[in-house]
Amino acid sequence: MSLPDLTSLWLTARLAFVTTLVLLIVGTPLAWWLAQTRSRFKPAIEAIVALPLVLPPTVLGFYLLIAMSPNAWFGGFWLQTTGSTLSFSFTGLVIGSVIYSFPFMIQPLQAAFEGPVRQAMQTAASLRAAPMDAFFSVAVPMSARGFVTAIVLSFAHTLGEFGVVLMVGGNIPDRTRVASIEIYENVETLNYADAHTLSLILLVVSFLTLLSVFAFNRKFPAHVRF
Amino acid sequence: MSVSELDFTLAAKFTDFTLNASASIPLNGVTAVFGPSGSGKTSLLNAIAGFVRPDAGRIEFGDETWFDSAQHRWTPPHKRGVGVVFQDAQLFPHLSVRGNLDYASKRADPAAPGHAPSEIIDAMELTVLLDRDPQTLSGGERQRVAMARTLLTRPRLLLLDEPLAALDTARKGDLLPFLETMKTQFAVPTLYVSHDVDEVSRIAERVLMMAAGTIVASGPTDEVLSRYGLEAGRNPYEVASILRGTVDTASESDLVAVRIGNAVLWLAADLHLKPGTEISIKVPARDVAIALAKPDKISIQNMIPARVTGLKDAHRAAFQTVTLDIGGQNLDAVITRKSVQALDLNAGQDVYALIKSATFHA
Repeated sequence: MSLPDLTSLWLTARLAFVTTLVLLIVGTPLAWWLAQTRSRFKPAIEAIVALPLVLPPTVLGFYLLIAMSPNAWFGGFWLQTTGSTLSFSFTGLVIGSVIYSFPFMIQPLQAAFEGPVRQAMQTAASLRAAPMDAFFSVAVPMSARGFVTAIVLSFAHTLGEFGVVLMVGGNIPDRTRVASIEIYENVETLNYADAHTLSLILLVVSFLTLLSVFAFNRKFPAHVRF
Repeated sequence: MSVSELDFTLAAKFTDFTLNASASIPLNGVTAVFGPSGSGKTSLLNAIAGFVRPDAGRIEFGDETWFDSAQHRWTPPHKRGVGVVFQDAQLFPHLSVRGNLDYASKRADPAAPGHAPSEIIDAMELTVLLDRDPQTLSGGERQRVAMARTLLTRPRLLLLDEPLAALDTARKGDLLPFLETMKTQFAVPTLYVSHDVDEVSRIAERVLMMAAGTIVASGPTDEVLSRYGLEAGRNPYEVASILRGTVDTASESDLVAVRIGNAVLWLAADLHLKPGTEISIKVPARDVAIALAKPDKISIQNMIPARVTGLKDAHRAAFQTVTLDIGGQNLDAVITRKSVQALDLNAGQDVYALIKSATFHA
């Protein structure tokens, strides 16, 4: 078995890494807000966050493709400020993947931030810890398990993405042709050998990623001691 | 500058009740916040700690204003210098005992007067526990760590929210001396929330008595407790029934009429409660007698029609516990086996319950 072109795998890993990083930065404050708020908009926002779980990726991809077109408000704005189009670009893929994997980051974090963490934040305040201090010294370590789950699930979910990427990014080698699309193309062109190799690599990587979460959760039932 | 009083007037609406409390508390010694559960004690504490922002009113600590709704002033909890010890200790699970204590010392106000960490750790007898995981501690040990942790921040005011409530009676007895140490050795002005008369009379100099979200009385501990017909030192294990009723319009200045179903029960207590207020009363089973017909010419005023629903042996051989139904609530009477035979009591029988004493139940 000869090794197929690994460009698509490398692109997939980069996409999953950047997507997870963006999700962590955007998702943490949103998950915190959802866990603490009593706003009447909470259910609506939770429903929007969960939409990618049930929506066909093609539907999501279709709307994103329209929004990213240079004629649309968002796509036009992007073209004007950065000088490049979003659709069929790596940045476009990242935006699509971030939206597609949103619930996988938000839901574990929100669950971790609810419950004992809320009371612990009050305790920290009574020990003179300012809110940001308390967040990093109490909420984050107490939610370590939630963070690990959220990060690994977002990463693994982005690895397996197909529909959104195909709609938004198309199939441009080294720019938007991720592993899942390359497998599809290999099958289309009856190149079963490469399809086998890539599929096996994705299967093993995904399994090892998930195994690491479950092993971590078993070792640290609720939180991590430092 | 002298920090002399904690002064507050607060109004806050919660889903199930309204807090409407106002008081001035001298900032020395221990002031108990006493009242039945659901009377607003913890809500009051949360407002003073800064965990909850009331709808209206103000909180002044000496010459500082922590909250003033008219001037939109609000001091967040971490800037108040208020230490809180919670019912369930609330130790951080991701830190060891030492980690929990260090967390507090690192954030102490260096300008505030306080005691050396070693003195606090010694006083709470924590030296041998320092490397333990909080989850492996007993309830009493956890509370000692929580008390030390709070003292290490050098608080200007201590709020203790039923620190003994989660412990069994024996552990309570073990922990009480530490609370007294906290009071005498470290001398931080303290608000102590409790619904236990014995604890309150042992620790507090003064009492704020709360009921239905308001402060109904305040003053020196003995005075307030005796005004409410509450006394310390009664056997906590005595069999007693708790009855729920509403304050009736017939109430007089030192006598409260409590309506329970169709009957009215008189309670000797100087409670200024609005008619219609729901209260609980406690009736010791040995202070309930039973008559087959309504007696006249008797000093007992509380005679309530009741129905016998059950008979069982009491904890002592000579006695039996008779369970009565009054307006859908259970009232236990402990009478001698001989009396049960003499009256030929059976389930389903209509009788009169003669209640010799009843107290406001907190």
